[in-house]
Amino acid sequence: MPNSQTANVQLTMAGAVRGARSLGPISLFVIPFGIAFGAAAIERGVTPDQSIAMSLSVFSAAAQFAALDFWEGPLPTLSLLLTVLAVGTRLILMGATLAPWLNRLSRPKRLLALSVLSDVNFADSYDAFRRDDRDVGRLVGGGLALCICWALGTAIGVIAGASLGNLERFGIDVVMVAFFAAIAVGQWEGLQDLLPSLVAATVAVLGLTLLPPGWNIVLAAIAGGIAGVLWHEC
Amino acid sequence: MSAEATAYLTIFLMAAVTYGTRILGAELMSFIRITPRIEAFLKSMAISVMVAIVASAVAQGGFRENTATLVAVAVMAVTRSAIAAVTAAMATAAAWSWLI
Repeated sequence: MPNSQTANVQLTMAGAVRGARSLGPISLFVIPFGIAFGAAAIERGVTPDQSIAMSLSVFSAAAQFAALDFWEGPLPTLSLLLTVLAVGTRLILMGATLAPWLNRLSRPKRLLALSVLSDVNFADSYDAFRRDDRDVGRLVGGGLALCICWALGTAIGVIAGASLGNLERFGIDVVMVAFFAAIAVGQWEGLQDLLPSLVAATVAVLGLTLLPPGWNIVLAAIAGGIAGVLWHEC
Repeated sequence: MSAEATAYLTIFLMAAVTYGTRILGAELMSFIRITPRIEAFLKSMAISVMVAIVASAVAQGGFRENTATLVAVAVMAVTRSAIAAVTAAMATAAAWSWLI
């Protein structure tokens, strides 16, 4: 990336406020997902304290829902952790994608900022960094807003989950996918994005049935990246 | 170890593994010089992650969910506002649930 596009990267409170504002509305929609997790966790025998501790410290819907599948009897810790790793692999790719900006910060700042990296603030920050808002505070503020709402939802879910009924009737279930679709459209720069997108979509869909949960996204992202390099060089 | 202690240890390890995945990408990239080829890879990977998430969801979604996603794409293309796109998709899905 040309140096001019990654110069002057900062980590400020003002940036954090912008990130929290930008993702505030989406964060509110995370609460129902937290409720769904809290209710499911209680059903699987996770205690209320453990459920909330998990949402605050792990802060990954995909990893936490996957973990519930293993949550019975003597915990099969190793296979559970391998699944968490598999689901989290896509965070490695997102961190690498943000690296041209993040790595302009000192290592302690970077390690702190990345503790709240998730799919949603990744998409928001990547978008903002490319539009010249090069403040990693944006990632942190957005991440904190998401994490607080996720934990708050979990707390509501463990207390009252069963009595709230189905939240689908409010259309909340489509929020996350609609958000990613919107950001992808916003990022679209033309023909050079077509081949990576087609490759990624194909691999993701084929991988759904052929691979363990989560791996299809990882493989699709790498395949799409390679397709982009081929397009760039041919 | 008691079941309680095992549960908390497992949660701690889950958090540690997930934090590891959060920091690993940027750490690895700090050892790599970003050439135009790597830049093209990262850029395509960014849009690929988002497209892959959407494509998986569409493959598993019903008519209602996929119509909502289509509405989000259309509204984003016209307004360039992610919030408008998400709100329109939500309204579509909610209306669908009420009417059908």
